[in-house]
Amino acid sequence: MGLLSAAAFAAGLVLSAGSTLAEGADHGPIRQFELNRYIPINLWGFDASFTNASLYMVAAFTIITFFLTSAMRTGALVPSRLQSMAELTYKFIHDTVRENVGDEGMHFFPLVFSLFIFVLVLNLLGMIPIPGVTFTVTSQIVVTAALALLVIAIVIVYGLYMHGLGFFKLFAPSGVPMWLLPLLIPIEVISFISRPVSLSVRLFANMLAGHIALKIFAGFIGTLLAAGAWALLSPVPMALTVGLTALEVLVAVLQAYVFAVLTCIYLSDAVHGAH
Amino acid sequence: MAASNTPPAGGSEGGHGDLTPEERDAFKKRSEALGSRLEAAKSQGTAAHKPGAVASDNAANSGALGKAMRISTEMIGGVAVGSGLGWLIDRAFGTWPAFFILFFLLGSAAGMLSVVRAGTAMKTGASNPKAGPSVRDDDDET
Repeated sequence: MGLLSAAAFAAGLVLSAGSTLAEGADHGPIRQFELNRYIPINLWGFDASFTNASLYMVAAFTIITFFLTSAMRTGALVPSRLQSMAELTYKFIHDTVRENVGDEGMHFFPLVFSLFIFVLVLNLLGMIPIPGVTFTVTSQIVVTAALALLVIAIVIVYGLYMHGLGFFKLFAPSGVPMWLLPLLIPIEVISFISRPVSLSVRLFANMLAGHIALKIFAGFIGTLLAAGAWALLSPVPMALTVGLTALEVLVAVLQAYVFAVLTCIYLSDAVHGAH
Repeated sequence: MAASNTPPAGGSEGGHGDLTPEERDAFKKRSEALGSRLEAAKSQGTAAHKPGAVASDNAANSGALGKAMRISTEMIGGVAVGSGLGWLIDRAFGTWPAFFILFFLLGSAAGMLSVVRAGTAMKTGASNPKAGPSVRDDDDET
């Protein structure tokens, strides 16, 4: 706990330093979400440049691969700390899938685990402040929407494969009088279509709002320090920034888990069909 | 063998597998205790992975902030998708704003439906009321 708060304090310090620098260079709190093209690439008219988003995704992929392979390399019966971490993560997602989708949905475990750990590592990487570089990939709706659309596409394709056209009974709950169906089916369809929307917006909005709030509060420190006697008040936003940093780490983990759980819930519809 | 069977010969302290009756009793008791503990652990592992699952689920819903975010995005998603669909239909057929109004209402209803579903799921502890029975069915069959 002490280590965590110390880390949060250090993070707040660096972040505030970064933001005061940024303010000097006319950077607003939105500036951190801008894409920077490091290596411009143009593929058949499409902009496929290697950006800071690409950099962070490659970093996340490398970290995940390195973490999991090095943790499980020994495969000891009595696990080391690293192996314990990997096994706990595995077990955690395993139980989540088992509980929400059931045993017949366990072949979706690799998908859910990949989604969870990818989102988790991207969220957490965004919390490490490196002035001028730090970028939270999950604060881009195009990324979260792509992940959510992947999930919904799998639900639809697998549902049709498993239940054929019976999959569409999902939109007409049993035990509803006939005259209500014309009203209820559009509502159910819209509710289904809104799933990828809410799934992607939830993750994106959480990360975006958290990082903007962090940046604004950190900006107050610099503003107060530059305002003469008001500098005495500057520890107040500093403390807030430290607290917010800890909260954001919590949100980063929680949102990755929520994404995984909701993926499981939607997959469960595809596996079990309408009841 | 016959020599070591005689109790005063001190075979028991040599530890060659010969036990005094007291030691034998103690060993039996210990192995029985271990057996019952194993049974308990096994039955917990098969039938009662539910309580642990519910606990992990409560952890997911922990934090009023996460709950509020979940509920509010369900509502926003429903209204946004409904209005968007209505707007698209209107644009395609030039009937503005008839379908927009209709689908805005339908979207609001869909959002409400999602909110109620998410809310009941949070209340019962299981994330998905639909998945609950099917999992229980599997346990009954085996």
